[in-house]
Amino acid sequence: MGYWKEIVEGGWSLVEGMRVTVRRLVKPVVTVQYPRKRLEMSPAYRGHIEFVRFPDTGTHRCIACGTCQRTCPTGVIKVQGIKEHARGGKVATHYVIDFTRCSLCGLCVESCPTQTLKFSREYELEGDSRWDGVIDLMERLEDGR
Amino acid sequence: MTETVATSAGSDWLRIIIGLVVVLIFAPLNALLLVWLERKVAGHIQLRLGPMEVGPHGLLQTIVDGIKLLGKELITPSRADRILFPLAPVLVFMPVLLAFLVLPFGPQLVIREMNVGLLLIFAFSTFTVLAILTGGWASNNKYALLGAIRSVAQNVAYEIPLLLAAMAVVFMVRSFNLSEIVMAQHRVWFIFLQPVAGLIFFICATAETNRAPFDIPEAESELVAGFHTEYSGMRFGLFFLAEYTNMFIVCAVAATLFFGGWHGPFGFGLRIPGVVWFLLKTYVLLFVLMWFRWTFPRVRFDQLMNFSWKVMIPLSLVNLVVTAAVLKLL
Repeated sequence: MGYWKEIVEGGWSLVEGMRVTVRRLVKPVVTVQYPRKRLEMSPAYRGHIEFVRFPDTGTHRCIACGTCQRTCPTGVIKVQGIKEHARGGKVATHYVIDFTRCSLCGLCVESCPTQTLKFSREYELEGDSRWDGVIDLMERLEDGR
Repeated sequence: MTETVATSAGSDWLRIIIGLVVVLIFAPLNALLLVWLERKVAGHIQLRLGPMEVGPHGLLQTIVDGIKLLGKELITPSRADRILFPLAPVLVFMPVLLAFLVLPFGPQLVIREMNVGLLLIFAFSTFTVLAILTGGWASNNKYALLGAIRSVAQNVAYEIPLLLAAMAVVFMVRSFNLSEIVMAQHRVWFIFLQPVAGLIFFICATAETNRAPFDIPEAESELVAGFHTEYSGMRFGLFFLAEYTNMFIVCAVAATLFFGGWHGPFGFGLRIPGVVWFLLKTYVLLFVLMWFRWTFPRVRFDQLMNFSWKVMIPLSLVNLVVTAAVLKLL
């Protein structure tokens, strides 16, 4: 009896498999022809971090407090700032990250007291040396990217 | 046009020469189309597009691939058999071409009518196994040899139910002549009278052409590429060409034996030339073969053997006995 049962059940499972694939065959394809067509990135997408440009000042609000640098679990952030006026706060002059070691945990973005850090939508990174993964956020902001 | 040429060509010799020329043009074109189709079907089943870059919808992709293959160096491994190694790709292709000789594409569109047409196709199809074994053995490569040995075991196992299934049809028509088999189906196709034989035939044909899920001889994830591991350039191309032409042949034979050959469905479509119906049926069956390939995972070797010896052969024997009994009683 097991012999016939196996044939019938096995045969039915094959038919079932073919039903699945033929359905996929007539469904619209999901692949995007990448260089010519691009998808809108999801708001939840995490690229490397970058500065927020605030419309009122036209620039970032980084005060070089170093919170991000201290919270970063892999220590990829290097931030430096100067005090322009004796009574004023510090302003960042250098902000560099080594994206090759970043785990995209987001602690820097969360801990920033001035909310000047955000995730970029950058997904087209490439490079031929590991130094290409070192990104200068100041430079990025100035270039207007 | 070929129909009129072939029928007006009274002499057998002229008919054969014209037929062979047409076949020599048709076989590579068919292979090109099938390779492209295979990739498109695979793409769409996996929800991607398949080749799209070369030509509209990647139509020229296979032609470009062919040119690339032509340009590649023909490498012979240092301790391979000097005579048999280059001979195998030629051996694999010749019997495939010969099978075209007796295929009835239309009522008059047969290169050579033969009373033993079906036998001729089956006889020559076994040459492919020999060629695969030659290629695998002559390569002086363990994986190639393993692939070739597997191929022989598989083909021996599946040839038996294949022939037994075809025999059921021969019993009903009482002829090996493919045209007569088609003519016997002008009212009802044999797939409705012999569904079990049809199914067995098609499954065995899949195994005979070394197609997935029975692609044990190639099994690229276990045996690198199986019997053609050491072949490069156009030698590999010939194996490829033979595989796709072989697929066409088995589907054409299946269309002839079970799907009414050049007849339209249930006597309809008389205005459409028979060759159109024939090719349509063949290509639908080819699509089903591709559909199989992108649905089922490869079977293990013991499963493959068990399936043939424990399921296909007994079933086809029972089917044959029942057919004989019914024919005797009617």
